[in-house]
Amino acid sequence: MSVWVKSFSTVLLLLPFSLSAFCDPLPPDLTYRPLPTLPFSRVKAADEAQKAAVMQRQSGLMNERYDLSDRAMQNVMMSGGRKPVQQGVRVKLAAGLTWDSLAAMSPDEIRQKGLLPPGFLPLPHVKHATGGQVFPDRQIDEIRRQEGRDLRRFDVNFDFPDHITAEFPPPIFLTTRPELGDVSRGQLLTIRNFYEIMNGIVTPVQMEGLRLLLTPFPQEEFNQTEDRKVAEQSNGVTCLDCHANFHTNGAFHLTPDVRPQAARFRLDTTSLRGLYNQQIHGSKRSLRSVEDFTEFEQRTAYFNGDHMSATRKGVHLPSRPNQVAMMAQMQNIIDFPPARKLDRMGKLDRSKASPQELAGEEIFLGKGRCAECHIPQLSFMDNMMHDLKLEDFYQIGKTYNDLATLPDGPIKTFTLRGIKDSPPYLHDGRLPTLADTVEFFNLILGTKLTQQEKDALVAYLLTL
Amino acid sequence: MRFITLIAALTTLATVPASAQFGNPGGLDPGTRESAPGVPIPGQTNVPDRLFTTLAAQGGMAEVDLGKLAQQKSRNDAVTAFAKRMIEDHGNANEQLTQLAKQAGLPLPTEAAVDQVDMHHRLSTLNGAAFDAEYMRSQVTDHQKTVQLLLWVIASGENTDLQRFASDKLPDVLHHLLMAQSLVSQLTGAAAPPTN
Repeated sequence: MSVWVKSFSTVLLLLPFSLSAFCDPLPPDLTYRPLPTLPFSRVKAADEAQKAAVMQRQSGLMNERYDLSDRAMQNVMMSGGRKPVQQGVRVKLAAGLTWDSLAAMSPDEIRQKGLLPPGFLPLPHVKHATGGQVFPDRQIDEIRRQEGRDLRRFDVNFDFPDHITAEFPPPIFLTTRPELGDVSRGQLLTIRNFYEIMNGIVTPVQMEGLRLLLTPFPQEEFNQTEDRKVAEQSNGVTCLDCHANFHTNGAFHLTPDVRPQAARFRLDTTSLRGLYNQQIHGSKRSLRSVEDFTEFEQRTAYFNGDHMSATRKGVHLPSRPNQVAMMAQMQNIIDFPPARKLDRMGKLDRSKASPQELAGEEIFLGKGRCAECHIPQLSFMDNMMHDLKLEDFYQIGKTYNDLATLPDGPIKTFTLRGIKDSPPYLHDGRLPTLADTVEFFNLILGTKLTQQEKDALVAYLLTL
Repeated sequence: MRFITLIAALTTLATVPASAQFGNPGGLDPGTRESAPGVPIPGQTNVPDRLFTTLAAQGGMAEVDLGKLAQQKSRNDAVTAFAKRMIEDHGNANEQLTQLAKQAGLPLPTEAAVDQVDMHHRLSTLNGAAFDAEYMRSQVTDHQKTVQLLLWVIASGENTDLQRFASDKLPDVLHHLLMAQSLVSQLTGAAAPPTN
């Protein structure tokens, strides 16, 4: 330490007092992605050798946080009738706690005692330091079968079990042809089959938009350079590789809007259903039109918000008046799944709903405070971003699997229409079931619901 | 036989610490020698580790230096208490970092950063409330930068011990940042930070 005092004194003496210098900026790769420094073969070998330990670490974290067993509800299927909805609270509580005893504590007490269930904390990417898009096996297999294109990464696998994700392939409902119902024919839309499936159902403009949404473009982890995470040189990924059939397949990546890497939260692919009523786009970006989102997405999700990296790997700049508008028009005709128990204003039809569902709606609109953001008349959104301030419940800055848990700040209100179709929940997919979501909001909003009220709320959410 | 396999499997499990760090091997230096794939042999002076050690050590020592200055000059109990905490916490962290750097064979800086020297000089010319406000404002900036530095090495560093050190220190540094923001708010009327 004395060396340091001397050092300070010496430098002080040497410097003219008029000097007003700025320090060096922090390291260059805090904002910008560094260029690759090693040959592809060596990076691939290292990644493959690490993969087992990477997956083991992530499954360790998942098992510590959740009960991911396959426990389906009786007679409650997702909208395509292909997959049952999972039941029960899956987030694990510390020993000796109950959900009621936890909800009775103040945020300060929970934070100071470290009692927030770890499953309520931000969920790390399976390999956070690398990040990037990770696809579920069903998507990978189907794209390989139809297109011969490889979406499998050599460094990581998908981490949630299949039964915690959306049904695959999801049904497609169109605002322009509601009488047709699901038009997907039970198939995954790809660049190979889209014309056959949609011919006569969509307009030429929508068809061209659809073609572009299904055309692969180079991406951060899927491209032709040595900086990729797929074995063969790749043509890239398509918009609907994540938004499968305009819904979601659970593919995840890291938010493009935050730096540095350890502070970027995980993003669970959101559904594009009901986009026509959505006024802001992107969890954090708050883009004001689907045209903006569509145009910028290639610089953000595809390239992690890094236009420098895009330039190197193959940038795609869709023409705003032609291509972007057509892609937007296709997205804008994607409807929510039918909800037979809802009336024209999004309220339950009393002649069709059960007493428990009606009780759930009353809680949704009142004691549960859900409808303060998820307004039924506005497709269960409010077109705003809100800060849930979860950090009141935990000490910020702890690192889990290379993700530093920091406040999320304001996040967009997502729609709840068709919500049973899109597990896992929250922007990063940290909540496996609807029952988890009810417990999460019951805690952070301090609504102190009884078990009966929570069950009614879940029953109501299933009707949406 | 199955029992032996199980034991072997459990042993393997036990050797992988829950907090094992996995960086992106695409960012390793070309000359990096590895003990396991993507894991540099200890004792190498990789660029990220060396840069982190330099910047973290300079930052930590500046905290102690400026803390001592504040203890001499400030008459505000809250500011001197904060300065005392900085001297203690960063003094301890500096010792840990010195040990880690020695173990890893990483060079420690011999000179303070120019901006830190400049700040010392600027604060030396101030007194009373002006000193308190400027010292605390500089502490907000310094801790913001330290948060960034720790986050950076958690994802981009190569030495696992240094990454664990950064992970361990991040909550403390965030807490220091909050304390500094609160004090600036008290001293100047700036907007109060969130409480946590």
